[in-house]
Amino acid sequence: MVRDAIEMHLPDEYWVEAELSECREHSGHCYMELIEKDEHSNTPVARAAAKCWRQTWIMVKPNFERTTGTPLRAGMKVLLRVYAQYHEAYGFSWIVSDIDPTYTLGDMARRRQEIIRQLKEEGVFDMQRELKLPLFAQRIAVISAPNAAGYGDFCRQLEDNAYGFRFSITLFPAIMQGEQVEATIIAALNSIFATTATSPVASASIPSDLPPFDAVVIIRGGGATADLSGFDTLALAENVAQFPLPIITGIGHDRDESIIDMVSHTRVKTPTAAAAFLIDNLRRVSESIEQAETFILNYVNEHIRFQQQHITNLTTLIPTLAQRLLSDSHHRIELLQGRLPIAIERRLTAQQHLLEQTALKLQGFDPKLLLSRGYSITLFQGKAIRNPQLLKPGDEIETLMEKGTVTSIVR
Amino acid sequence: MNQEMKYEAALAELQGIVHKMESNELDIDQLTEQLKRAQQLITLCKDKLTKTDEEIKKILAETK
Repeated sequence: MVRDAIEMHLPDEYWVEAELSECREHSGHCYMELIEKDEHSNTPVARAAAKCWRQTWIMVKPNFERTTGTPLRAGMKVLLRVYAQYHEAYGFSWIVSDIDPTYTLGDMARRRQEIIRQLKEEGVFDMQRELKLPLFAQRIAVISAPNAAGYGDFCRQLEDNAYGFRFSITLFPAIMQGEQVEATIIAALNSIFATTATSPVASASIPSDLPPFDAVVIIRGGGATADLSGFDTLALAENVAQFPLPIITGIGHDRDESIIDMVSHTRVKTPTAAAAFLIDNLRRVSESIEQAETFILNYVNEHIRFQQQHITNLTTLIPTLAQRLLSDSHHRIELLQGRLPIAIERRLTAQQHLLEQTALKLQGFDPKLLLSRGYSITLFQGKAIRNPQLLKPGDEIETLMEKGTVTSIVR
Repeated sequence: MNQEMKYEAALAELQGIVHKMESNELDIDQLTEQLKRAQQLITLCKDKLTKTDEEIKKILAETK
């Protein structure tokens, strides 16, 4: 009777929004419990069972996982196409004929945004990126599943690197898929941090407030996409964001970043990329050392060679200069020697000239010349006299003429 | 970690020596002395990259 009533009033298929409080697979079928929660108190106000039979589930499940990247799991919000079924033995149940994965995807995205917003509000979102990866980052703490191919690849790559760089790797195991992701990774981070106090380097003289590692690497492996939703939780993000060492995440996927990728120091696509990143970090240091070395050697060689050249130059220069000085002096002496006779000659000639001229001049002053011209000289008492006033009558004067002398008496 | 500081400081000192040479600050005596120091730093850093901590400890113990 109940069955008829239900079949009559709920004959069709309906799209139903609900939260999954349970989700189990058994014999190929999927058994779910749907609940509706009160908006404010989070307590369930409605509950129903839902089943998805194997022939439907076989198609619905992969479609859901492909779109959302994660299997159906308790706690998710889902949009189901259902029809009602009442079975006398089992009671009422919805039978699921389809699931709309985009609804769940939308809800997951909304939840991620919410977590991101909260992380930013707490001020921790960017904390990791304020840390500096050490230049000599060689002590690596790895969080990964021990048997994962990714972990093996990572170690091998670091051990066999072409440059001969040495790393020391310590594994802190965790479960990298499913529901255990958050708990085990946080536990691993705590283990890493716990090594701080017991680090062998820490001693009375060198207190240490950091674990004895240069970086943490969280990797998971080998290609396969499935199930990254475990990496999108608030608690995990908070732990990663506030960790005191830089964390490199290589979760390995091609869709959008997980929240853990957003808060980590560096994100890489694969474990091999993480290894390459660490190797490259050292390579840059190695390169700058080589460059410095080359420069210094070249510079010193150049400088020494320059100085040696300088000294050699001076050494050859000095005798040359000395030689030139000597020959210059010789030259000057020779020049002077050459000029001497000429100078002397000229001087003598000049003097001779002067003498001749003087002689001529003197000749001009010879009194005889005057006398020959008709002049006469009058002498009184042997001396030439020029002033007649000095003579009185009766004085005797002599008059010199060209051809003789006349004696006269003044009247 | 303090260990890391030591090597990063060594690298910084090395760059400092390069800088001094580039600006021709050094006379011939300082040049020789700085060259020796640079070679020490270079060996230190290169060893850090390519040897494990135990090997380095051994080397340091030997040279004492």
